[in-house]
Amino acid sequence: MSECIVLCPEILDQDGGAAMYKALLKQWSRRNTSLILDFSATESIDSFGGAWIIKASGFARRKDVPFSWKGQRESLCDFLEMLAPSLQSSPPEAARSPGPLESLGALILSVKDETGEFISLCVDTIYWTLIAPFEGRGFRFNAFMDEVHEMGVRAVRIVCLMNFLLGLIIAMLSAKQVESFGIQIYVANLIFIGFARELAAIMTAVVVSARSGAAIAAELATMTVQEEIDALRGMGISPAQYLVTPKLLAMLVVLPCLATLGLISGVLGGAVWGIFVLGFRPFMWYNQTLESAAMDDIMQGMLKTFFFAIAIVMIGCHNGFRVKGGSRGVGLMTTRAVVMDIFSLICIDIVFAVIFYYILG
Amino acid sequence: MITVDKLVSHYGTHKVLDGVSFEVKKGEIFMIIGGSGCGKSTLLKQMCGLLKPTSGHIMYRGRDLAAMDEEEMSAMQRTIGIAFQSSGLFNSMTVGENVAMPMREFGGVDPQLIDELVRYKLSLVGLAHAQHLMPSELSGGMRKRAGLARAIALDPDLVYFDEPSAGLDPIMAAGLDHMILKLKSLLQTTFVIVTHELDSIRLAADRILMLDLGEVVFCGTLEEAAASQVDRLRQFFDRRADDFIVQRNISL
Repeated sequence: MSECIVLCPEILDQDGGAAMYKALLKQWSRRNTSLILDFSATESIDSFGGAWIIKASGFARRKDVPFSWKGQRESLCDFLEMLAPSLQSSPPEAARSPGPLESLGALILSVKDETGEFISLCVDTIYWTLIAPFEGRGFRFNAFMDEVHEMGVRAVRIVCLMNFLLGLIIAMLSAKQVESFGIQIYVANLIFIGFARELAAIMTAVVVSARSGAAIAAELATMTVQEEIDALRGMGISPAQYLVTPKLLAMLVVLPCLATLGLISGVLGGAVWGIFVLGFRPFMWYNQTLESAAMDDIMQGMLKTFFFAIAIVMIGCHNGFRVKGGSRGVGLMTTRAVVMDIFSLICIDIVFAVIFYYILG
Repeated sequence: MITVDKLVSHYGTHKVLDGVSFEVKKGEIFMIIGGSGCGKSTLLKQMCGLLKPTSGHIMYRGRDLAAMDEEEMSAMQRTIGIAFQSSGLFNSMTVGENVAMPMREFGGVDPQLIDELVRYKLSLVGLAHAQHLMPSELSGGMRKRAGLARAIALDPDLVYFDEPSAGLDPIMAAGLDHMILKLKSLLQTTFVIVTHELDSIRLAADRILMLDLGEVVFCGTLEEAAASQVDRLRQFFDRRADDFIVQRNISL
């Protein structure tokens, strides 16, 4: 039986504590059965000194020996009394990281929960969009108009600019490829068909999802964090009715309109290259474009925009409602909404490509 | 420790503080009281260097805050602790990481000591068990205590605390007041606290400053306040409503 008694310095601060701990490591031997700090020479202790005392108690715990102190002055009693709770137990452990099976199980459960919540939101939204207005239950027309302005009118410039530049780029690229065959006039056909069937719709949807999809997710996530959604529910108002429906209807109206503007801008972009760089007469380029224009192509593109609109709004709202935590959660869910939006747009586009090009021929 | 001299502060064209002067002594709990919107939180932000005064001086350790450049201001702010009304905890970090953040960022702390120091600070505010929790998992009272633990992380001489008891139940509020008293005696910390909780004022204040419409109407000890005949101060301590509110209630 032997005690390891470590004499603490006069001032037990960061440096004094380090010296004390060093002395402890030097003095400690396997035969020691307890660790005692001697404060008889110590006149003051600060928080750093306190932290060194905690470290010494941790050392004793690891060695499985009792830890105590002696010789403390009256003036230090309060400080040591306050320190006691930190010494009594080992530090709380961080949550254990789950094993592969647990992770898989958690993933399956979370997908199941999320799917359930998404379906429930969709059902609520379908009711408030398609059924409730015919039962005479509230439709927020002013909110709808505000959303049309925010998602549609304010997006016109960026949508037109992006499509115009894309039309210019595609004309530039394709004209170079067919230059040696002398069929550059067919670039007009390519631009029109490309934009009518695919590019106007997808490009516009991507711009709108980055702009409005992110805004929807951030707005609803902030409202969730600040308990505004709970306040709505507490007043007996369905968030699907009050928040989602006006956004969804507005998006269903504005996205096809924006895609139409995108189509016109893209075709204009191609025409600018064809007329001013390739040197075709405007009338010739115009005739060639009209010749390739078919209503079927335009309808193909436009039909997709309705599905894109539903995806952008529902994914944005779903992620906004699911937020947990504070500002960090809002950022994470907004990012997630945009990524899911763009991924779902591509998936919807693939489905339509298979239907139009392979199933319907 | 701090001397505020003829401080004037505006938000745009609206004057919030008008010629405020007082002194905070080392080691005391100095409470700034007053009705809602009287300029308490603005005064606290001025004293922390978060707002620039329109005119007047705030002297801290002999230096005028208004004359400090950005670097000097940052250095000054590292020597004080600020606990905000809504805690100001970083949501992306655990409680322990929040408390450790000033220790890591400002240097001067032995890296092998940070974990013990965090545990000590958290146990001082009764949150030793919450080290690995996220702020979003804490109750309002716990968040305030965690904010206080971060504010005292580096043993500052001076701690500013904005509305420590607001929104807490009486037991939790009393616990926080006792904690402030304990920290004052243990670490010899000076506290400047903005509050309008009468119980906290009676329990913990060494001196109080009362603001009304941006002006100082009283500055002194609790005994002096009890003997004072300043009408606004009496009204505050007696919890008397303004006349027009009383009249309006009667008419209802």
